Amino acid sequence: MAQLPREEVALDRLIICPKCHTIHQKVEIPKGKSAKCDKCGRILYHYDARILDHGLALGITGLLLFFVSNLFPLVRVEMLGHEQHVTIISMVFSLFENGFYVVGVVVAFMVFIFPLMILVVYIMINWLMMQHKGAQLTKELLVLLSKLLPWNMLEIYLVSILVALVKLIGLMQIHFGLSFWALALFVLLDIYLSKSIRIGEFWELRRRIYYAP
Amino acid sequence: MPHKQQIDPKTLLRCSVCEAVNRDREGDVYCHRCGSRIFRNPKLSTSKAWAFLITALILYVPANLYPILISEQFSSHTGNTIIGGIILLWEEGSYPIAMIILVASVLVPILKFIVLLYLLINTHLKKQRYSRVGQHRLHYMTEVIGPWSMVDVFVVAILTGLVHIGQIRVIAGPGATAFVLMVLFTMFAALSLDTRLFKEKEPYGRDQSTDH
Repeated sequence: MAQLPREEVALDRLIICPKCHTIHQKVEIPKGKSAKCDKCGRILYHYDARILDHGLALGITGLLLFFVSNLFPLVRVEMLGHEQHVTIISMVFSLFENGFYVVGVVVAFMVFIFPLMILVVYIMINWLMMQHKGAQLTKELLVLLSKLLPWNMLEIYLVSILVALVKLIGLMQIHFGLSFWALALFVLLDIYLSKSIRIGEFWELRRRIYYAP
Repeated sequence: MPHKQQIDPKTLLRCSVCEAVNRDREGDVYCHRCGSRIFRNPKLSTSKAWAFLITALILYVPANLYPILISEQFSSHTGNTIIGGIILLWEEGSYPIAMIILVASVLVPILKFIVLLYLLINTHLKKQRYSRVGQHRLHYMTEVIGPWSMVDVFVVAILTGLVHIGQIRVIAGPGATAFVLMVLFTMFAALSLDTRLFKEKEPYGRDQSTDH
């Protein structure tokens, strides 16, 4: 096993609050508890002994829900005997058909490509660390994951669907599709995953798995 | 051998990628844990932040002047700007939705502009008038609320995909493209801001709060 330089080990005992940048010394905490910043109250880290099992289970569940939410229509509308439905992909294509390439590309990345990449990368990290394999690969995947996280906007998308439907109330009949509920579930999971993935904890775990103490 | 006491807390940096604590060695700093560049030359990143912010400010004008949504009904076209859409929703009585759009598409971008301008101007001042912790909090806040201004764009995208029934069609307007780019550039500006330049009001070493 590789050894880390002394200064790095010393620095890794410290943590800086992401919200107010107060410097803290890491302390041992009991199982299932979390450490909070004493200045602003933001959670700094958790102690979850089975972080990888939980991560893998949530990641796979998320991937299944993501497929379901893309296979079926999100919403169906009816008006004067005509019917129309929308899926995430058909929405992007109709933006392209109307010549809105920039909007189409940005929306496609934020509600389809980035969420999918986050799930796949997250599952890979959990699986690799479970198997104690790929020291270098997990490093690159973790870096990629933290660059992807701020660009995932599915929860904002879910709110947008509701806002769009309110605009259509009174004009046409609205039916929610199976995918809408799958997406709603997925977003709940996704909020838990991407807003509470504390990247620092994975790096900490990675150091314990791949490096000598 | 470096003891804890020998590391000056003022020279410690947080890696924005992996959250590791690093020592500030001026100029380019690479994270010891994940290898990403934490900060490059602060002058360069400040100019970049300015460039992104000014681009976003310019894009804000067409984003509000051009319609973001065009509805075609039996050969009559009506374009709706962001403000026009909010007024329409308010008049129809959908107050909560009007409020959501008002906050997400009007207040959030303006607030982001003001905060980023303030933080950027502050980095150029010798004596900063706001505390370092306060500046970090403002920066964190813009990163958290920023993406919510995408609501209106997603609404336009959904309506474009959903409403083409018979003679009735809703499509995006040129304002939508400008608005998307504006949101992107404000996010880039917030990301490229060098948080090392957030300094204390008083000279170094007077603040007790960061010593534990």
